[in-house]
Amino acid sequence: MTTDNSGDVRLSGIGKTYGSFTAVHPLDLTVPQGSFFALLGASGCGKTTTLRMIAGLEEPSSGTVHLGDQDVTRLPPYKRPVNTVFQSYALFPHLDIFENVAFGLRRRGIKSVKKQVEDMLDLVQLGEQARKKPHQLSGGQQQRVAVARALINHPKVLLLDEPLGALDLKLRRQMQLELKRIQTEVGITFIHVTHDQEEAMTMADTVAVMNAGRVEQLGSPSDLYENPQTTFVANFLGTSNLIEAEVDSKSGDRIILKAGGGKLTLPEARCSAPATAGGKVLVGVRPEKISLTHADDAGDIPEGRNRISGRIADSSFIGVSTQYVVDSPVCPEFEVYAQNIDRDPRLVPGAEVVLHWNPAHTFGLDAAQDIDAGVETVEPEEGVAA
Amino acid sequence: MAAVTEAPAPPAPATPATKPPRRRGRFTPYWLLLPGILWLLVFFALPMIYQGSTSVQTGSLEQGYKVTWHFATYWDALSTYWPQFLRSVLYAAAATLLCLVLGYPLAYLIAFRAGRWRNLVMILVIAPFFTSFLIRTLAWKTILADNGPVVGALNTLHVLDVTNWLGWTAGDRVLATPLAVVCGLTYNFLPFMILPLYTSLERIDGRLHEAAGDLYATPFTTFRKVTFPLSMPGVVSGTLLTFIPAAGDYVNADLLGSTDTRMVGNVIQTQFLRILDYPTAAALSFILMAAILAMVTFYIRRSGTEDLV
Repeated sequence: MTTDNSGDVRLSGIGKTYGSFTAVHPLDLTVPQGSFFALLGASGCGKTTTLRMIAGLEEPSSGTVHLGDQDVTRLPPYKRPVNTVFQSYALFPHLDIFENVAFGLRRRGIKSVKKQVEDMLDLVQLGEQARKKPHQLSGGQQQRVAVARALINHPKVLLLDEPLGALDLKLRRQMQLELKRIQTEVGITFIHVTHDQEEAMTMADTVAVMNAGRVEQLGSPSDLYENPQTTFVANFLGTSNLIEAEVDSKSGDRIILKAGGGKLTLPEARCSAPATAGGKVLVGVRPEKISLTHADDAGDIPEGRNRISGRIADSSFIGVSTQYVVDSPVCPEFEVYAQNIDRDPRLVPGAEVVLHWNPAHTFGLDAAQDIDAGVETVEPEEGVAA
Repeated sequence: MAAVTEAPAPPAPATPATKPPRRRGRFTPYWLLLPGILWLLVFFALPMIYQGSTSVQTGSLEQGYKVTWHFATYWDALSTYWPQFLRSVLYAAAATLLCLVLGYPLAYLIAFRAGRWRNLVMILVIAPFFTSFLIRTLAWKTILADNGPVVGALNTLHVLDVTNWLGWTAGDRVLATPLAVVCGLTYNFLPFMILPLYTSLERIDGRLHEAAGDLYATPFTTFRKVTFPLSMPGVVSGTLLTFIPAAGDYVNADLLGSTDTRMVGNVIQTQFLRILDYPTAAALSFILMAAILAMVTFYIRRSGTEDLV
């Protein structure tokens, strides 16, 4: 399988401008054969445009698209070995489910489609619905028809444009697993566009986070989460506490930082910005990595951990965990997620606390960026193409 | 502090409405329907009944007409005027077909390609309605005049030789031939074809075209397998809106045709207004109506549009 690269998608310098507006800045991207790749970003970040350029529905203003070794940049969509699952499914309303699924096969002149269509409908568990019209099916069923209609053609690459956007939460979870199962089963390259970071992280092997027409960072979900390279990625994927700090000194492979009168330690390997003494960096830590100790017990905290003192401003109990907002001198809204294993009854709003965490969980970012980039990730489930 | 062990009391059950809903409400829909029903009664049902009774009367203008249930009038009218009936259907069908052939590409362009010019083009389609039907038809007399540019051009291109051979034109003239009548009908009813076509084309989701392209359909196949089937409601209503009035039309045949191109509308008009043979005129009207109803029913059944949308 490693020798077969016919399902590789290679974008070189591909970009799209509409008049003076740049939807996608020239970008280079290689998606290897058989991978589940997600393009993640808020609406309007250029992810759908990128997908449509791969599908041939949008002509790139610059650059080339290769599938395997074939340059498909100038090929019309109907000549590309690529199929798309559209955002609103775009099922043909005048054809029944069977004919919708058979559409691609018939267009390629395949006469005996019955067996293949039935097998495909069984794969998506819609064998019983073959003679119904699309409007007689539920949203989840329509979504599966859209997947079946694309997959039956054995495309080199399957493109999914927010395929789960119109489904409710429970169904969406179910379909995420279903799509992942199908992808593993058929081994086709999937490129998935979504604005839902959880969806991207659950399903994809590799995620590219896009922002304002550029790829901010590319990597495995855990890599992106643990080692964000920009404030946008740090804030867009999950939540990050970002502190502005000054570089004090370096000792071995560690950087010592000054922040709000205290000292913090940051492993040099986890700092994506150049750290020179006296310079500034943004220090980040994820809320679930932090432990919370009441100020009275501060002496029990082991040596060598990063500490910040503060006062609990707010706490909300959400079952498996409790989310605290801590007001500290270095950051007015420090978020801490604590597992509800042994709850300390003294940790209520107003309590003086010490936040502490393993320095290895600290990451450093370039301080020249907007510290709040990518914070607003809550968006309506819009039907507008991003 | 005592723990609250009781859940807050549920809201008191809604007391059943003691007052029955006001009675007037029940009849409101019928009151609203009344003006329309009255209108239909006075201006549609009564005239129909009157025409129906006229068609089975016998007598003469001097001695007055009496209802004698003389159904033979229908048979006489049909056996005398069947050529005009046939001609009406043929001319209307030809005009409808021409309207479809001319109107479909135009409606398609307006719906998918016109962009910001869309409204302007729509106004241009409707613009002829600002002029009287009669004047527009009379204008075609000038356009198709014997020594006008159209006839000249057709002559030079030897198109008239072909149409002469087909029997659509005669001599070196277009005016007073079937071709002129069909042209007039086509021109006058074209907007009735374009508007429903446009409406149904415009409703088609553009992503369906993309989906078809994505599934290996060439642009032509996309049209054949997706766009055209989805525009069928527009095609059916457009052809009906064109065919029905065209089959009963007499103005075009009167102004652009000759005695050889008389349609059933002309016969009815003459019977009513010149010969004053009211029973025959009424019987012809009913035959025309029944024929159109039968054809339309057959057509709608065949096209199966109730399945669409």
